[in-house]
Order: sequence, then C-alpha cells, then structure tokens
Amino acid sequence: MRSILIGIWAAGTVSAQTGEFFERSVRPVFAEQCQTCHNAKVRMGGLDLTSAEGVAKGAASGAVIDRADPGSSRLLRAIGYDGAIKMPPSGKLSDERIRAIRSWVRDGAAWPAGGAVPGATAFWSFVPPKAPVVPKLRNERWVRNDIDRFLAASWEAARVTPAAAAGRLTLLRRVTFDLTGLPPTPEQGSEFLADQSPQAFENLVERLLASPRYGERWGRHWLDVARYADSTGADEDHRYPHAWRYRDYVIDAFNRDLPYDRFVTEQIAGDRTGSIVATGFLALGPKLIAERDKVKAFYDIVDEQIDVVSRGILGLSISCARCHDHKFDPVSTRDYYSLAAIFASTKQLADAESNPSKLYFTPLGPAEEARRYQEHQAKIAALEKEIEAVYTKQRQRRAEKLRPRMADYMQAAWRVYAKGEKAEPVAGEAGLDAIAVQGWVRYLKPHGERIAHLDRWHAVTESTVGVLAAEYQEDYQREAAERRKSTARKYVGDNRFFTDVNGAASPFAIPEKLRDAMASPEAKQELASLRASLDELRRASPPEPPLACAVAEGKQVRQQVFRRGDHNQRGDTVPRAVPAILAVDGQPEFREGSGRLELARWLVSPGNPLTARVMVNRIWQWHFGEGLVRTPSNFGKTGEAPTHPELLDYLAVRFSESGWSIKAMHRLILSSNAYRMRSASSAAHEERDPENRLLARFPRRRLDAEEIRDALLSFDGALDLTVGGALQKMTEGNEKPFTNGRLGMDPDSTRRRTVYLPLRRSNLPGALALFDFVDSVTTAEVRSRTNVAPQALYLMNSPFVTERSASFAGKLLSGVPMPAARVERAYRTVFGRPPQADEIERDLHYIHGFPAGPNSLEAWASYCQALIASNEFIYVR
Amino acid sequence: MFAKPARRDILRALPCGFGMLGLGDALASTDPHIPRAPHFAPKAKRVIFLFMHGGPSHMDTFDPKPRLERDHGKPLPFERPLTFAEGKVSTLLKSPWRFRKHGQSGIEVSELLPNIATCVDDLCVIRSMVGDSVAHGGAIMQLHTGSNTFTRPSMGSWVVFGLGSENRNLPSFITIKPTLGFGGAKNWNSGFLPAVYQGTAVGHGGLDLTNVKDPIEHLSNKRYSPDQQRYQLEMLRKLNAKDAAGASDPELEARIQAFELAFRMQTHAPEAFDVSREAESTRRLYGLDEEESKEFGWQCLVARRLAERGVRFIQCSHTYRVGNEAGWDAHTELVRLHTKTARHVDKPVAGLLKDLKSRGLLDDTLVLWGGEFGRTPIAEGGDGRDHNPYGYTMWLAGGGVKRGMVYGATDEFGYHAVEDRMHLHDLHATILHLLGLDHMRLTWRQGGRDFRLTDVAGVVARKIVA
Repeated sequence: MRSILIGIWAAGTVSAQTGEFFERSVRPVFAEQCQTCHNAKVRMGGLDLTSAEGVAKGAASGAVIDRADPGSSRLLRAIGYDGAIKMPPSGKLSDERIRAIRSWVRDGAAWPAGGAVPGATAFWSFVPPKAPVVPKLRNERWVRNDIDRFLAASWEAARVTPAAAAGRLTLLRRVTFDLTGLPPTPEQGSEFLADQSPQAFENLVERLLASPRYGERWGRHWLDVARYADSTGADEDHRYPHAWRYRDYVIDAFNRDLPYDRFVTEQIAGDRTGSIVATGFLALGPKLIAERDKVKAFYDIVDEQIDVVSRGILGLSISCARCHDHKFDPVSTRDYYSLAAIFASTKQLADAESNPSKLYFTPLGPAEEARRYQEHQAKIAALEKEIEAVYTKQRQRRAEKLRPRMADYMQAAWRVYAKGEKAEPVAGEAGLDAIAVQGWVRYLKPHGERIAHLDRWHAVTESTVGVLAAEYQEDYQREAAERRKSTARKYVGDNRFFTDVNGAASPFAIPEKLRDAMASPEAKQELASLRASLDELRRASPPEPPLACAVAEGKQVRQQVFRRGDHNQRGDTVPRAVPAILAVDGQPEFREGSGRLELARWLVSPGNPLTARVMVNRIWQWHFGEGLVRTPSNFGKTGEAPTHPELLDYLAVRFSESGWSIKAMHRLILSSNAYRMRSASSAAHEERDPENRLLARFPRRRLDAEEIRDALLSFDGALDLTVGGALQKMTEGNEKPFTNGRLGMDPDSTRRRTVYLPLRRSNLPGALALFDFVDSVTTAEVRSRTNVAPQALYLMNSPFVTERSASFAGKLLSGVPMPAARVERAYRTVFGRPPQADEIERDLHYIHGFPAGPNSLEAWASYCQALIASNEFIYVR
Repeated sequence: MFAKPARRDILRALPCGFGMLGLGDALASTDPHIPRAPHFAPKAKRVIFLFMHGGPSHMDTFDPKPRLERDHGKPLPFERPLTFAEGKVSTLLKSPWRFRKHGQSGIEVSELLPNIATCVDDLCVIRSMVGDSVAHGGAIMQLHTGSNTFTRPSMGSWVVFGLGSENRNLPSFITIKPTLGFGGAKNWNSGFLPAVYQGTAVGHGGLDLTNVKDPIEHLSNKRYSPDQQRYQLEMLRKLNAKDAAGASDPELEARIQAFELAFRMQTHAPEAFDVSREAESTRRLYGLDEEESKEFGWQCLVARRLAERGVRFIQCSHTYRVGNEAGWDAHTELVRLHTKTARHVDKPVAGLLKDLKSRGLLDDTLVLWGGEFGRTPIAEGGDGRDHNPYGYTMWLAGGGVKRGMVYGATDEFGYHAVEDRMHLHDLHATILHLLGLDHMRLTWRQGGRDFRLTDVAGVVARKIVA
C-alpha cells in the first residue's frame, strides 16, 4: 500500500473520484486559508502548500504528513488545534472542512497536478489595483463624477437614499476647515454667497488649495503618519534641534504639490536625490538614549523605521516579524531582516558603536564649510580648556602650600562656626589664610544633614578638637601615600574625606569670584593673553552652518536573522530584499549603498500593490473622517476590507496614472456630490447603515486640537500667519537629561499656527493632548475623537480660552456699535452663519441679564466663550 | 472582555450599543467610566502605588545579606552582569544599617525604615523582583507600562479601562507629582487605549504642591463668579439644545454630559485635595508636621482621601531629585542619601498603611511600594551602589495579598533573584488578578493584534494571594 502511495506522489496521478473530492472540498480550503502564507514564494515556516512537491517536502521543522500513520500527521494536529501550532491562526476551520482534510490525508494526501485556482494565493491588497469598470446606474440624476457612480451603485443595491445637498454656508465651513484647518471669515462667507457662477465651489477650492494654509493643514496630516516630533522621546527625551526643517519640508511639499512618488522617494532616500532634509522621516523617530545594550538600541531604531515605512507607506504591519513569522499576514522573519539589512546599512547616529546617545546631524551647506566650523569650535574648546588648566594649577599650588597645616585650619574653622569668632582675626592670629579658613567653615559646619565621614568631627568638643583635627590630617596623609603607591587604590573603598579635600570644591580651593584676583602675577599674565586669543577666536568664528536631522549611507552590514528578535541568537544571513509576497514584479535589484534608494523606487513602482491604494485611502479619510478601508495603516488580513473596493482601486489607478498629484485627488474628490451632502442623519440611515459605511451622508466631525487653537486665535485676528522656521532655539541636541523642567514650549506664549509648535515627545502641550492630538511616538493612522470632562474644564476655565473669548468680545465691542449686529458678527465668525431672529433675541437677553455686570465686557466675553464651548462650533457638519 | 472595540469612537467602544435604549440609558451606556464588572470576584477595588523613583537599595531595607557582612571588600565571586555605570570595578559592600526582626511575622527590616517596620505584619515583601533594564528610562517605562521599548498604555490606564470609575466627580486615575523625565507622560498615558483612560497628573515632580489651589488643571475659573458661570452654562445648554434641534444624538449628548461632569468636578475635587480638613493627629501620623516628611506625607494623605472617594488608581511619586541631588539613586554616598530619602517617606508610608487599616480601607485597597529597580551589592565609587534590575524588593499590602509574608529570594549577595522570581510582567498579572481581572483577557485590538499589559508573558503569583 505504502509503495503505491509513494508512486502516486511521484507521478501525481490520482483517480478521478479522489480528484473530484480534492477539487471540491480540499483545494479551496488550502487556497482560501493556507496558501497566502504557505506558497512557493513566501514559504512561511518553510512550508509550501500549493503543490504535491511542497506538501511532500514539509516544513522547516519536518514532514507535515506522516505516511506511516496518517492520522497523526502534523498537518492534522495543526488544523485540529491539538498542539502548540494552531492553524490557521485566524480561527479554527469548520468541523466539516477539518473532516474533509482529514479524510484526504487518510486517503493518501494525493495532490492532483494542475487545476490550481487562479489567484487563489492572492489576498486582495497584495494584487496590484486595476482600473475597474465604472458602474452604470439606472438613475444618473445625482451624479457629478465617477466617485458618485461607485457610491450610488452601492445605495441602489441597499435601497438607501442619499442625504440632501448641504447648504452653501455649511459647505463653505466644511471645505475651509478641511483644506486649511481654519474657519471661513464672515467676509469669505459673503463673498462665496455672492458668487453666483456654477463654478463658485470649484473657484473656492482652487483658492483654498493655493493658500499656504493648505500645506499647514495637510502637511500636518502627513506628520501624523510620520510620527513627527522635536525630541527623541523614550527615556531621556533629548532634543532634535533641527527637526523643524523636516516639518517645513513636508508643509512645503504639500503646498507645491510635490508628486507623491517623489515625496516618498525623498523621505526614504533623499540623501541620494538631493533632498536630504526629507530623510527626517526616518531620522526623527523615538530613540532610547541611555540603553546600555548598544546593538539592541541600534536595532530598535531600525525596527522603528521599518514600522513607519511599512505601516505608514505600505499599510502593512511588518514589525511583528522581528521576533516571529507574522501570525496573520504572509510576512516572515526573513522578510523582516531583509528590510532590516537596508536600514542597518544606514548611518543613524553620530557614533552608533561607541556612543549611541550622540545624535547625528548632517550639514546642509558644503561639507568644507561644516568642517571649517567644527575645527574652529574645537580650537575654541581647546583654548577654554587651557584657561581652565591655569586655574587648576593655581588651585593645586595653593592647596599644596596650605595642606601641611590642615589640622590648624580645621581647628580655626571650628572656632569660627562653633564659638562664633570672626574668621579674619582667627586666621591672622594663627598665621593662616583667611579665605581658606572660611572654606573650611563652609565644609565642616553641620548643615542639618548627616555626612557620614564627618560624623566624628561633628561630635567634637573643646577638649578633643585638637586631637581630632590631627587625626583627620593623618588620615588624609595616609590615604595620599597609599594612592601614590597604587593607582588602582582609587576604586577600592573610597575615602570621601580625601576626595573632598583633594577635589575641585576643596575647602582650600579659591572661590570662583576670587579666582582672577588671587592668581599669581605670571598666571594673570598668561590668563590675559589666553583670553585675548579666545576673544579673537570667537570673533573669527564662522556662523553655525545649517544642519538637518537626517540619515546617510552607512557601512553595509551582512544581516543575519535574529532568532526571537534577540541579536545574541544569530541565524541565517539574508540578502537585502522587499517582502516576498509584495514582489509582484520580482525583487528589485539592490546594488550600491544601503539599498534605500532601490527600496524607495520599488515602493512607488507600478507593480507595488499597496502604496497608491494606501495614500488615496488616507486622502479620502482626511476628507471624510473614515477611509474606504477603515484601518488605514493595516491593509493586511486583520485590517478591515474596503467598503468600496472598486472605488478604492479607481482612485489608486487615477492617482498613479495622473502623476501622483495630491491636489488632483482633492479636486476629484471635492467635485463629487458625495462631498456635498448634508451630515444630518435620518432614521432610515441610522437603521440601515448606523456606521455610515455606504457614505449616503456626510460624516460630522469634531474639530482637531490644532483647529480649535488656531480658530480661537483667528477670531480677533491675533493669529500670526508667518510660515515655517524654528519657534524655539534648540542649539544642541544633548541637553541635561535629568530635569523636571521639560515642559517644552508653552503654546500660550506664541500666536503662531499650532503646526509650528515644537513637540516634546514626553510632554506634548497639554491642550493638544487633551483634544486627542497624536502621541507622536508611532505612526498614527487616525485621530481619536473623545468627549471628556477635562476638555470641558479647559473650555470653561483655561486662561487661554477665557483670554481669547475676552479679546474677541473686545473686538466686537470696539468694532461693531449695535448689540444685535455684534451677535450677528459673532455667529458669522464662530459658526460661519448668520443668527436667526429668535437667537438674536435670546442672546441679547443673556447680555442684559448677565449677573453683576449686564452689558459689560464681561458679559460679552462670557457670551463669546459660551459660543466657543458649544457643539455648533466644535463640530464641522 | 472587550474583544474588539471600534478603533476610534469611544461611544462605539463600549460594551452595549445604544441603538435600542432610551436616552437616559443611552447616556449611561456611552459613559466610558461607568463601573464595570471584573472577570471574577476581586480582592481589591483600587490601587495606591507608592513609587520610589531612583531605586531604593533592597540590601539596605528589606533583604538582609549576612554574606555581605562577611565578604565586605572582597570582589564579587561571579561575573558582573550588564550595569549602568560600566567600567568601574568594585568590591562587595556590606549594609551600613542593622536589620532586626519585627512584628509577629518576624520579617527583617533595616533601621533605615523604623516606621514602616512597625507595619511589617501587613506587608507581603517580594524579594525576587526582576526587570529588564539597567537604565532608569527603560526600567521606569517597563514598571509603568510593561514595555521598556515601545509606548504602551500604562498600568493605571489598563485598570480603569477594565473596571471603570466609582466616582463620577473625580478622574478615575490620578498620578500625584509624576516625573516629567524618563518617559514622562508615557508613564501615565493611555497609549492606544482611548484617551479617557489616561491618568490625570496633579502637578509634576518639580513643583511644591502642598499648598496648591488647582490640583487638577483648569479646575477653577479665575474670571467669573460661580453665579456668572452657572448663568453661562445655562446659555451653553440652550445653544446646544437648539443645535440638536430636538433630535437625540448620543455623541452630542455625551458632550453636554461632559460639561455637567466638569462642573461637578469643579465643585468636588478641591475638597478631595484639601488636607487641612484632616484632624491634627492624622496630619501628624503622616508626618505633615515635620519638614523632612511633609511633602511625601501630603501625597500619601491625599492618596487616602482619593481612595476613600473611589478613585481607582492613585500613584504617589517620591521625586528623583531632591533639591539639587539624588534621592534614592545613590551612586555615591549611600549612607547620607538613603538616610535622607528614607526620612522623606518612612513616616508617610507607615502613616498611610495605619490610616487605611484603621478606616477599614486596607482590605480592598492594594498598596504597592518600590522603585524601578534595586541596587547592586558591590560598591560604586566606593560608597554608593549601582542599578540592579536582576533581583530586588518591592512590597504589596492590603487588597487580597497575604500579610506578614516574604515571597521569593535573591542569591546570598542580593544580586540575582533565585527563588520564586517575580518579573515585572508577573507583578502586573498579579495586580490585575487581585483586582479581579484576567491579564490574558484584558486586551485591546490594535493594528491587528490583541495587546495586553503583560505583552506575551506574565504569570499570577498565586502563592501570595490571600
């Protein structure tokens, strides 16, 4: 029997009956549940379940079919969830399917040749998008462009009617916040209403896209993905002093509509394409500064970059594969380390091998200029050291002179602090140096805190002081003699009294402010001449050349797989490569350098199934609040399926074919009717589609943290619209780590747009965090939108909101004479619409009835604050 | 328990949908802080974490090592593991403090902590703690969030996510004077959990808060009288009612409710932080009358007041730097620095334990004491000790742990935990267990994976569960 079976394996001949059973009940299960990971290309766990050869070969850990005892085959144990390996990981197969495979294995596990289900191994997002057929509708009345056709087709099927068209002022407020992050001004409202042309909305869109405010809003969306911040976060949170240049690059890229393929390429490999600042995308991630395991610290950086590239650009989570083959998606540890090879061959830190806490900054000007600057700084530092050395020598010489009478100094000091005598006469009487006596007073006088090595001294009395002082001096001299004998002595049992007396803060030392006065004549002369040279050198220093936080090409590494992510357990060496499942058109050829340029080009190549889809989905999401795929950074198997797969592919193909223009995508989306519906939900919508997956109405959204702050600054015209630059001087990266004064910048101290506030990872500005700003540590796919009491406290009580409300009220009072007109102006400013008659009446009633101050500035200020705190302001409809 | 909540909208993340409920119920069900049933009967209802930032030395407090006495000055007889202060090689350093047995349990405590020693019969001293980081940053993050590498939700966030809040007028997770360095807000934020579960920080490590007016940010209004503010809120209600146009919309309603809660908080929170309402004897019990202990005493007393009011997770932090020098982090001058720092916390901590006990609160309040690691048995710089995450002491008290117990042990030098090792993941699993939460089931789906506080590890230390 067995030999016959082997024969079947080899020849691949199967009886007609078995073959039919296989095709009907077994192959579809493999195709649907197993082959995405277990195919000839990916071979997760070494196993290929797409052919007779693959099945026969088994997994890396051994055979999966036990031909001697088919019932105990590992394949059956895995699908039966009996052992450690449970397959498929997404959930146990139905009993019926398990029975089918069991029976197939018992019957010899024969695998008929050919007849593979076409595309069976392909999960939707791993197949490149193709332009879909635009649906034909029975009723075209509602349609403005193809987007509407895709949506309307789904409504026809679900018998849902779309919401009515939004009013013009609603639309104006929606699109202005959407494209610029700011509210429309009352004047813009009047202008838009006055434009009666059929192109009025398109004209408005063009005006908004051309405004520098556009890049500030949409660049910030990308900065969410890029987990942008101005410090290293993690443990010690050092500053990235030049991070703002990357932020400005992103804003500018959106404003000039840099094609997305180039935008991606520059961010991955800008050092090779002349846009080095763009590589801040890789360089500005969180970093552990004080990690003692340097190799781990380095590979944490690599990992963090793989994560931002894979989730941010590919919409696929690859980082899980650092430690084990991905549980759900066909990504193996080999895939992971093949990517790691690229980032590990990249220069990430100034000196990754010996000092991983020193950040790497790239000069933006000519290298020669930077070198000259650094050399000059080194000369200054050397001279400063020389000056310090003169003082040290002075100090040592003085200590040497005074030390032989240490016991006398101690006794004198005791007389001063314990007996209340004056230092000068005590010193004069004993022929001692008065300044040194004072030094000893400072050192020996008890301060309320116990100092162990002075315990004996602090128990001193009139009768013992002489003996004790002599003992301390002897102790000192003994220690000094020991140390002369053995340098190792330093580290064995410290003598703290010795260290204190011998150190820079010794009681014999010259106080800082007397250092110059007490220097010897020769030293004075030397210092004067050194100082003159130093001044001269400083004057002659070239200005600091501009620097960027960027990456560069590094040493090419031979990357090995780290078993369980542990760099001490090294496995096979892997070549640089992109994940096998995505290499639809084959692997790119990695030739020179780290391979980042090749990786970047592959990311935006026509064969890449994900990059365009992921970005058009993000653009859609930033317009509509939710993406067509509602897990925008996870297009893998655990992500959500697209609500409108054809529309997604339609947009992706349009995007790449039209030159990757983001602004062109805005124009396309904004010219649809889908964008112009009302947001009000009907009972029918709530019942049939509570999550609005059919997009038959426009979703309402709460303003983002930046929109709230910027709008509040704009109401009275206080908002400073300067573009770009650093708001905080951050001269060097390594600031003292152990301080509590790490609040970063207070947002209330500037009136610049929020996007320009420096972001300290460990302490994001409170008002931003409160309104669900991103954590800026990992790539963010969506902002949460919470409604919590601390937000209410902020709007009711914070100095910022009260000050802004009062200032806005002041502007209303001085600029608009009639109270009713003030109410009107306030509505147009805050809500973007005129008030109704009953609202004017009610609101004036409020002003007149304000407790302890009707009609006052306080009344108006509290009124403006109520408008700001209201739902109508905080939501865009 | 919350297998797959919707990602972004907290309204949808909650156990029951609001579609078929009346409006009143709908509001209750959309409240993310509503008290929730744990997985099984809890032993503790809340946690007070007394964080000793810097890392107290276990060999000088709760883990006596006679061998160090004997081998003082000799080299360490085995290879020294990765340390923070690399390069300096040093010898074994005996404890400068004497140990004595205390209470009926006879657990040994050093003379450094004379007041806590009197509470020893209420403690479960874990002498076998293990962490993975030798530097403060990673160690603190792992202690607070379970991960020393990635940003994850903090322990307190997981707890309030799992159990909700019992006080509708106060935040459910409060951290008093946390440090802004070493991960800063990451140590009390909610990571990928909804932001409502993040801790509310009361000041930060550098502030003197003992006379503070606004313990919670923006808690009081400086511009308007209460009358004026009530009048204003009435206006806000009208604006929102008109805006809703009579339709019931849970999200808009939730926002209106948030303002109501904020107004209540404004009324109730100042009282919760006002320790001047305490009897003089209570204030003395916490050491508020002494210069050295009044700061941490204030924190502990506030912690008890918050615990009484149903706050779920409360953290007090002894600051890393006191004035211009280290607290517990005694790389040099162990004697002086530990003596000084012990005086800051000894009386307040003992006071808290006694006070909780006399009020019957210790039975369902779990108190956790300890730093981000312990210290080395070998000297650093002659008279200090370096960081040691390989074996150190923390203790638990109250809320369902055995009392007067020593759990686990380090080797005879105090370097490595050798018996009943309690990794931080295990400690987290055990704390959740005592609160009635199964650490394997308290999960959040993110990026296609179910995350938990204990990553892929954690074993409940059943031996210490009463």
